[in-house]
Amino acid sequence: MSSFRIEEADRPHVIRLAIIWVVLSAIAVIAELLFLHIPPGDQTVQGQDQTNTMLLMTALATPVFIGVVMMVIYSAIYFRRSGPELVDGPPMTGNAPVQVVWITVSAIIVLFLAFVGITTLATNSSAQTVPGQSSSSASGSAGGAGSEMQVQVIAQQWYFTYRYADYGGVETTHLYLPVNRPVELHVTSLDIIHSFWAYQLGVKADANPGVDNVFHITPQKTGSFQVRCAELCGIWHGQMSDAEGQVVSQSDFDTWIAQQQQDYAVIQKVVPSYAPYYFPVPLTKGS
Amino acid sequence: MIRRLSFTAAGVVVVILLVVAFVGLFMLQQPGRLASPPTSIHLETVAAVGTANEWPRPNDPHPDWVGYLPTTILKVPAYSTINVQIDQEDGATGLRNPFWGKVFGTEGGMMHMQYFDDKGNPQEGDMTSIDPTQAAHTFAIPDLGVFVPLLGVSPNAPAGSANVITFSFKTKGPGIYRWQCFVPCAAKTVFGNGGPMQTLGYMAGELIVS
Repeated sequence: MSSFRIEEADRPHVIRLAIIWVVLSAIAVIAELLFLHIPPGDQTVQGQDQTNTMLLMTALATPVFIGVVMMVIYSAIYFRRSGPELVDGPPMTGNAPVQVVWITVSAIIVLFLAFVGITTLATNSSAQTVPGQSSSSASGSAGGAGSEMQVQVIAQQWYFTYRYADYGGVETTHLYLPVNRPVELHVTSLDIIHSFWAYQLGVKADANPGVDNVFHITPQKTGSFQVRCAELCGIWHGQMSDAEGQVVSQSDFDTWIAQQQQDYAVIQKVVPSYAPYYFPVPLTKGS
Repeated sequence: MIRRLSFTAAGVVVVILLVVAFVGLFMLQQPGRLASPPTSIHLETVAAVGTANEWPRPNDPHPDWVGYLPTTILKVPAYSTINVQIDQEDGATGLRNPFWGKVFGTEGGMMHMQYFDDKGNPQEGDMTSIDPTQAAHTFAIPDLGVFVPLLGVSPNAPAGSANVITFSFKTKGPGIYRWQCFVPCAAKTVFGNGGPMQTLGYMAGELIVS
């Protein structure tokens, strides 16, 4: 095994590179932590987890990126061929200590990220499940703050509507959610394939006819959010969006949903009862 | 001497402040929002654009397509009231989502309709919803929150008759707002959502607010 040894002539380069790398990496990582917006944000617990994971991966990848770019630029400047003569560089054979170091460091980083990713996924999946209640259940009892609220997202060309199973299946044109209350989203479609993308909530879910796609979120910050379709779905796909989604306090939500129920009463008797999913009906034009 | 200089300096400062205020106010000035007089839109919905009562398009490349006539590109003023009359001549298809059987976003939350009942007798009245299974089309501008279901002509109505639906809504600021039909009314297409449902000039349109 060859020993790890730096030639005397190379030492100034190594020291210079190490200093540049440490300083640039520190500046970049601190700037990322302080100023960089990492999607999707912190409006939901799940969004916060996604943001933290992305931030961690970015912070770990930054020194690697800077090191590679720095070596390329530094080599181009200092080790540039100066004369017209074209000669081979010095022959290099394996360097066991260097190989051990980079393999070990890479393995630690990858295994660490795998652990973080799996832990985040497991936490997101289990934390929102209410004991004794099936995650695919389509009808729940009217729950107060703390219980998981069921909301169905219904996509259709070219609009999203929402049904609140816990409030008599009332259907609404905008998505309102109470803060700090776990929500079980049931995403489906009435016609073709759409995709429910609520960026600030950290949710992007396929909306397929005849399919009940279940996602869990817990809003933790009041404010507005945008909903848009992320699956090409026809002429108005680009305008299948709604900027009036709101995360509000429980009391404001109670007031809003009561108003929706009152407005909804006009049409409630002819709207079918809440179901986990629907199929396109009618299949063809009737007239 | 000092007193004179002070007066001069104060005068210069005052003049500068006045000039800055004048220029600043000029730059910050914005045109006010003048409410435009009500604008009227008259549309016709037909099962086949080639055989319409009022604005037939016999030379249309798709004369058998369902459509709004005479055009689906509508120009209206911003921040104004738009009065709409739709002569609905098509039969019922039924809404895929019965929720759209309710009227949203119009003045008073309702529409006025002259129609023919199941027995073919003429009727008239203000309505806040219709039977979703009897909808022929909808006039919907989602970004303005306007959704109006249009009742299909009764099979027992006199030949060539139409349901006349009138309502009003208010526009917002300038922009291009899409409008559409929520009834899957495109005959001979997959799920009734192809062809005219996906084409400007038939069941897809733009409301140009300026």
